[in-house]
Amino acid sequence: MKAWQRGLVAACALLLLFGGTAYAQVSGTTPVEFPYTGNRTAVWIVAQLHTLFGAFILGAPIFVVISEWLGYRKQDLRYERLAKEVTKVTVILFSMTALTGGLFIFVLLAAYPQFTAWFINQFHLVFTVIYPLLFISGTVVLYMYSYTWDIWKGEKKGRHIALGVLLILIGMVTLFVINGPTSFMNTPVKADGVSPQDALAGATLWDKIANQTWMPLNLHRIDGNVAFGGFITGLIAAYMFMGAKTQEERAFYDWMGFAGNLIAVGATLFQPFTGLLLAYEMCDYDFSFCPYMMADQLSMFFEMQGAMIGLMFLAINYYVWLSLKRIEGAEKIRMSILVPIVMVAFPFVMMVVMNYYWIPDPMSLAFLLPLVFAPFVFGRFIPLTVSARTVMKIGFLMVLVGDAIWLTPHGFAATGAKMLPELELPEAWNFLAGMPGKLSAIFTLVVITVFNYVVYNRAIRQGIIVWGKIDFTSQFVLIFLAFTSIWTMGLMGAVRSLVRKYFHTYGLVPDFSAESFTPTLSYSAWWITGITVVFFTVVSFAVILTLRPAASKNEVPEGSPVPARAK
Amino acid sequence: MWNVIKKLSIGLVVGIALVGISRALEFPSVFQMMFFGQAMFGAAVFMLLDAPSVRTMSGAKSVISIVVFYVVLCTVFVSGASMWPQFDPEDEKGKIAKILKPKLAATEQGKAEELIARVKALDEQVKALEVRLMSLGGGRAVKEPAPPVAESPIVPKAAAAGDFMKLGEEQWQLQECYNCHKLKGEGGKKRGPELDNIGSYLTVDEIKQKIMDPKSFMAEGFEKDWEKGKMPDKFKDVMEPNDITAIATWLSTFKNTSVNTPKPIKKK
Repeated sequence: MKAWQRGLVAACALLLLFGGTAYAQVSGTTPVEFPYTGNRTAVWIVAQLHTLFGAFILGAPIFVVISEWLGYRKQDLRYERLAKEVTKVTVILFSMTALTGGLFIFVLLAAYPQFTAWFINQFHLVFTVIYPLLFISGTVVLYMYSYTWDIWKGEKKGRHIALGVLLILIGMVTLFVINGPTSFMNTPVKADGVSPQDALAGATLWDKIANQTWMPLNLHRIDGNVAFGGFITGLIAAYMFMGAKTQEERAFYDWMGFAGNLIAVGATLFQPFTGLLLAYEMCDYDFSFCPYMMADQLSMFFEMQGAMIGLMFLAINYYVWLSLKRIEGAEKIRMSILVPIVMVAFPFVMMVVMNYYWIPDPMSLAFLLPLVFAPFVFGRFIPLTVSARTVMKIGFLMVLVGDAIWLTPHGFAATGAKMLPELELPEAWNFLAGMPGKLSAIFTLVVITVFNYVVYNRAIRQGIIVWGKIDFTSQFVLIFLAFTSIWTMGLMGAVRSLVRKYFHTYGLVPDFSAESFTPTLSYSAWWITGITVVFFTVVSFAVILTLRPAASKNEVPEGSPVPARAK
Repeated sequence: MWNVIKKLSIGLVVGIALVGISRALEFPSVFQMMFFGQAMFGAAVFMLLDAPSVRTMSGAKSVISIVVFYVVLCTVFVSGASMWPQFDPEDEKGKIAKILKPKLAATEQGKAEELIARVKALDEQVKALEVRLMSLGGGRAVKEPAPPVAESPIVPKAAAAGDFMKLGEEQWQLQECYNCHKLKGEGGKKRGPELDNIGSYLTVDEIKQKIMDPKSFMAEGFEKDWEKGKMPDKFKDVMEPNDITAIATWLSTFKNTSVNTPKPIKKK
């Protein structure tokens, strides 16, 4: 796609966005009935697509600029190439973000004209001035960043990196600004002893933006976007690895897949905690959110989330396992016996500790931190060791145990109201389904993944990585991780929206339409899958369009094998 | 092949052992099946760990393999989600319509809908009268008392009949109070106090006060929950005053002293 074509797409998208905002001021419009999907699902589809593209274009620059900086600092051309290739894809997807954003406004207006007009009026300054200005600035800076790549090199590289940092900052501010109205729909301003309408009438724009779940949502999304950018980089690398013609190309894309995945995993490790913080603030705002999410209408959505995250952590660790196989000398690596002992003990110890010292009691750390660090502190004094392979296999076993705990529900019923004794967990085992149990399961997955990366790190310090020689299955693991993370994002996005129950804006604007009910998990899964497939099709097309010709040019030859200690 | 047989055998042994243990511990059969499934899934994971390397593919072969992989993923995710128990939206639709009815009636859209419903009802009455006049003759028909006016669609039946208790019980269900409070042995999960004996402690007005301002009373043993404000303070906004009185009246009839309802302490 040429520069003028990209510009045209971006201009059309901005026109859609502004046009939609202006049109929203016209009151008295009657809603359009979307055939087949219904109005709510139509809004859901475009909103989710916009969120996915937005997540990538906000997450990717963070990733790209860090990579460019690493390349500059280490004088390693691979980082530079990674950054440049991901930027090319980002430019295309930036246009898609704007297009779906404009479409989102129009579909929202057509489906819910009265609510949309009310909503835009609440955030008039944001939707008509701040957000468009940020979007235009972001577009200009992204194009500048992309087109100055080959001009600002050598001594001018610092200038280019600074431009990248500016792009990150604009992206962050855009995210923070749009998260205001998004979180406002779940947790609008409220005050003790005052009706929601009166509280809203007395609120400033800042009060509306800085609502109770704004900052937790910001944190969750920043973290999620970095993970998302990493997983998509892994996906791009997997596609290119599969299409590579030479060993040099395979070596580069093997490395790119590993680097992308590593950053994604780093960010993913924090995802459960920022997610818990968001859920905590939601429950604190209105406790009825909590049983609705965890015990009633949406409880099975959380079971599905547990299954998806369990699968993701299995895949993350499986990728480490396959990566270890391509390190010559990895079979000689041995770890202290304390590592597998801690792995096995961790979920059970944590469950007990959490039952006595629940968050935010810091006493829990007095037990858990020494346990986690014991292998590294005391390991050197204990002569007994086991092979890296055994450590990782025990790790897999405990990931399975963690998944099993996470997936154990209070009962196999979609709502607590329909719980029958033959479907319910025996009372003596209720701790498996309680929050301490779930938290210990989450921490187990995180701790074991960290331990496995420690094993990997030791292996690359003592062995030689043969880039490009990774088991071909690993490329499917990268695709799986990208697909699963996006699917899970869609699922949890649906939960965040559905928590509003029969309100467009919780407690303020009821949804009187016939679609104002909780859909089934199965129905939601169909649409989430459909949206994910559409997103993947566009991303795949963007990768083929932008990177395929470059791949044949053989830009930077990479050697293979590469001594690991040189990395 | 040996790898598959070995892992499958171990998976089966572990699965059967888990079923046996969970049965002995009186887990329902659905949990026993889940544990067995997890053991078999674990076996599959360990088979994958020791599986031989896949040879590098390229060209059309790799494209086809990616497409097939996506189809498998979509099928597994959709069918996986469909296997969990599904919430029936029909359970909720009636409730939401009842909750939103007074709010809808207050809007322009609601007023228009009410007017249309009244016009329709009147039209039906006119048609019925015409049929009677045609069959009975004008003079007699005039002396006949007019048929009762059809009930307005926005007036709750229970309220119209003055059946406050029924309306109160209905509000208990609509507002899903059972999610936190146990009553008549149902619901609760210990999130909020059991209410079977609440009528012995609080009057109708005091229960109303507690619903409208959850900080007004604190149940003994629920100090932390009271401090955190766990009981939502939204009911005064989402419920009609009549509905709050109805549920308070209904709750005040619960005076089962055999149930240990915690004593409410007045805070405001």
